[in-house]
Amino acid sequence: MMNKNSIPGLLTACTLAVAALAVGGCTSSVKAPATSSVAVSAAAVDNAASADAAQFAPVEMAAAREKMARANQAMAAKDYKTALALADQAQVDAKLAQSKANSAKAQAVSDALQEDLRVLREELARANTTKTQ
Amino acid sequence: MKNYYRTPAALAIVALMAACASTPTSTSLLESTRSEYRQVEQNSNTGTYAPMEMKQASDAMREANLSAERRESADKVDKQAYLARQKIALTQEVVKKKMAEADVTAAAKERDSIRLNQRTTEANQANANAQQSQLTAQMAQEDAAQAQRRTAEAQRAADEARSKTAEAQARNAMLEAQLADLAAKKTERGMIITLGDVLFGTDKSTLTTDGMRSAQKLADLLKQNPMRKVLVEGFTDSTGASAYNQELSSRRAASVRDALMQMGIAGDRITVRGYGEAYAAASNDNATGRQLNRRVEIVLSDDTGAIKQR
Repeated sequence: MMNKNSIPGLLTACTLAVAALAVGGCTSSVKAPATSSVAVSAAAVDNAASADAAQFAPVEMAAAREKMARANQAMAAKDYKTALALADQAQVDAKLAQSKANSAKAQAVSDALQEDLRVLREELARANTTKTQ
Repeated sequence: MKNYYRTPAALAIVALMAACASTPTSTSLLESTRSEYRQVEQNSNTGTYAPMEMKQASDAMREANLSAERRESADKVDKQAYLARQKIALTQEVVKKKMAEADVTAAAKERDSIRLNQRTTEANQANANAQQSQLTAQMAQEDAAQAQRRTAEAQRAADEARSKTAEAQARNAMLEAQLADLAAKKTERGMIITLGDVLFGTDKSTLTTDGMRSAQKLADLLKQNPMRKVLVEGFTDSTGASAYNQELSSRRAASVRDALMQMGIAGDRITVRGYGEAYAAASNDNATGRQLNRRVEIVLSDDTGAIKQR
């Protein structure tokens, strides 16, 4: 009897302990990464803004800012799990926005140079035809 | 007894777990992310231009897939899929940026090469232009030199003509002086020099010393005027037989010719005629008139050698 009764009791106790540990562990182990992730993401949003991402990638930039705001709200509400997820999303959004701005700028430079080349070739062709005339 | 209840429950749990394990969570975001991932993975430029970003996108994709395999909630899977999708998009942007930069490098290189070519062409053109102008200048110079040469030539020709004129004038003046010395008379046939009777021996055809002197003067004159010829005409008075007179007049004319030929005048410049007692210059009635009729007349041709015959 003693054996038969103690086994489920032990199981229940263990389950409760593990659950308590998990919940407590989760709360304490999520707070620190959330805090750092929010900070990193805020920096990522700032970087993107100074790279003119608002101009070149307005959708991603708006999403990043909106998620940052919600992450901060979650932090204030001590909902660290949500804050971490939002901060992570805001970070990839901001990085994508910055990258879009960078590639758009590079493309603009390339386009301008191609236009230069076209004009140069035209001038050359015109110079050659006037010479042969 | 209690085991009877537990066994089916355990079996149910096992069955449930097996079923769940065979059907991982699936969301539309995850599916579209996977398809985007495959596209980026297949792009050969990804490995060249964005290997680091691709690695991060790859890791995020694996996380999302694992989350789905663990049968986590659609919300959790979507969170992972979203991160993966954004990282995939970032990889694409980096590839685009690097390719644009590569284009810029290539275009800049080409632009420099075109400009270099253009400058080379311009320099060559300028060179050719300079050579052309040099050539033109040279040609102009040559033209000028030629014009100068022509002017000089014309000047020389004019000088020559002038000196020739002067020479001819001098020759004419000399000729006139010589003719005056020979007491030449100007007639319609031209200048006529008369060698009188006293220059020949009586009834003889040989010239006296004075006659030779006159002949010498005439020879000098002919030498200085090589184009002129002479017609030597012999005449007598009416004394004696006319046949004799005819013969004497011819002999006297011939002796003048012989004398001139001895003095170096070519025979073809001298024509001889004997007219006997014809063409008397004066009356044969008195001694003075007869002496005037015994004569040799030398007709001087013009510059072309033509002589008007009697």
